Amino acid sequence: MSWWRTPTARRYLFGYTLLAPAVLYVGLLVGVPFLFSLYLAMSDASVGSPVARFVGIENFASALENAVFYTALRNTIVFTVGAGILKGLLGTTLAFLLLQPFKGRKVIRALVVIPFTLPIAVSVLGWKWMFDSQFSVINWALSRLSLIGTYGSPDWPVWLGQPGLALLSVMFVNVWRGFPFSAIVLLAGLTSVPPEILDAAKVDGASFLQRFRKVIVPMIAPILFIGSAFDTVFTLSDLSIVYLLTNGGPDGATEILPTLAYNTGIRGGALGRGAAISLFLFPLLLPAIILLLRTLRRRQY
Amino acid sequence: MATLVAPAPRSQRHKELRRHLLVYAGLTPFLVIAVFPIFWMAITAIKQDADLYLVDAVPFWFRQAPTWKNFDFLFHNTSYGAWIVNTMLISFWVSAITILTAVPAGYALARLRLPFAENLGIGIFMTYLVPAIILFIPLARVVSTLDLQDSWWALVVVYPTFTIPFCTWLLMGFFKTVPFEIEEAAMVDGCGQFGALLRVVLPVSWPGIITAIIFSFTLSMQDFLYSLAFVSISEEKPVPLGVATELIRGDIYFWGSLMAGALLVGVPVAIVYNLFLDKFITGITGAAIK
Repeated sequence: MSWWRTPTARRYLFGYTLLAPAVLYVGLLVGVPFLFSLYLAMSDASVGSPVARFVGIENFASALENAVFYTALRNTIVFTVGAGILKGLLGTTLAFLLLQPFKGRKVIRALVVIPFTLPIAVSVLGWKWMFDSQFSVINWALSRLSLIGTYGSPDWPVWLGQPGLALLSVMFVNVWRGFPFSAIVLLAGLTSVPPEILDAAKVDGASFLQRFRKVIVPMIAPILFIGSAFDTVFTLSDLSIVYLLTNGGPDGATEILPTLAYNTGIRGGALGRGAAISLFLFPLLLPAIILLLRTLRRRQY
Repeated sequence: MATLVAPAPRSQRHKELRRHLLVYAGLTPFLVIAVFPIFWMAITAIKQDADLYLVDAVPFWFRQAPTWKNFDFLFHNTSYGAWIVNTMLISFWVSAITILTAVPAGYALARLRLPFAENLGIGIFMTYLVPAIILFIPLARVVSTLDLQDSWWALVVVYPTFTIPFCTWLLMGFFKTVPFEIEEAAMVDGCGQFGALLRVVLPVSWPGIITAIIFSFTLSMQDFLYSLAFVSISEEKPVPLGVATELIRGDIYFWGSLMAGALLVGVPVAIVYNLFLDKFITGITGAAIK
């Protein structure tokens, strides 16, 4: 009997047939476009002219000569790192609070995760209204508390109109949306540590700090890695908050690589240069992706 | 001498009460920050226009009678009705494509002991992490090659690039929990591998499949970038894009209608997502816990 007729061979054939549609779809619409973006980035493709010329690294070089690019790069890093740290701190605090047994825990948890579950464009529009230059409800409250002056006075903050404040505001909205995710991921990790293991460590005389460092942290580390890798990727590549709130303004103060890539590639029609700018995100994403890959692969053994 | 017996439980109760108060005090700022924007959007949606711009009175309640006219405006002066229909149709087709590809793939990866199954699974999941911002320019070419620019069908083609990886991973984890014995029993009874999948495994897997459908819907509605890049005709837009682009005309913001249109779709999505949030987190981290 030839090998092709064995049950194993038939199982393999069956299995790979079932896999084929998903692998093909993802291969054709993620894998191929990714390679195509490498090609586009090295061409002078534009929306108007379908025939593209190979220009080598010219697009990357011209991006590096552009002062706006450096602002966007710096803002992207400040935004991702700053917001990441804040989400970590707030998420950890919230997770430990939600870990306590108390009345109404389910309801409070459901309310506190709302920012993460609302579609992003929806909640950003709400924030745009709350950051309105004249009718901001935040300013109304601050003004009534006499923390700021009245409308028109020099200490009336225009959240999205002043460079430093604008960057803080877009970061704040990212933190607002992301902290429940950090908290829930951490909570999932903490509740997955079996109490028996902690009890055993306690019986063996481990102090709280020792138990935390030697038992809890190593056990929840994989979950934390995966959670933060996801959050980093989402934050680095998210365009909607900045696009809807400031579209990079005022004066490039909130320009990040995604908005620059969108405005160059789609609005400006320079597909090649847009693709080159968006590819600069890849080295920034790489650490998160490698961390995730190693975490996922390690559990095989 | 009841007082001699009482102190122990009472101090116990006091301690418990103090702990509760501390937890609530810690949670209050989080609650306010999470919920206030929703309250503010909701009250804006049913306020009269003039009421929005009264700066002297307390803005947290109505100074003029609440009104539904912002909702009227949405349905009569914009294509909001069409946007809802588009959003539902997009989500429906995306879910269909996702289920038809991710269910077989998840099953094959979880149960057929294929060579390289683990790496293939990780590979498919990793594509979930290739962000839209890197893919949207080359995908713009794909969309125009298929002649789908300015049609919501473009989004039906594109959204499965993130729903298939996520749902395959989710279903793979799910199929691992279905006991092998029921399949073996079916095959002893004369079902082939495919028959066992169809008649025995799928019927007990509907909770996983429903979860996958829910996520195809909610993830489709969370998108903004792809719709912004590929759809510019008003009648073809999905809700989030339509609200964000058509209710801001130049310098004029229709705040009441903006909030009404955003919440009308945002709140149901948030509620459903909320109910399935734990499944979403397990979908992402599940592999690390097991």
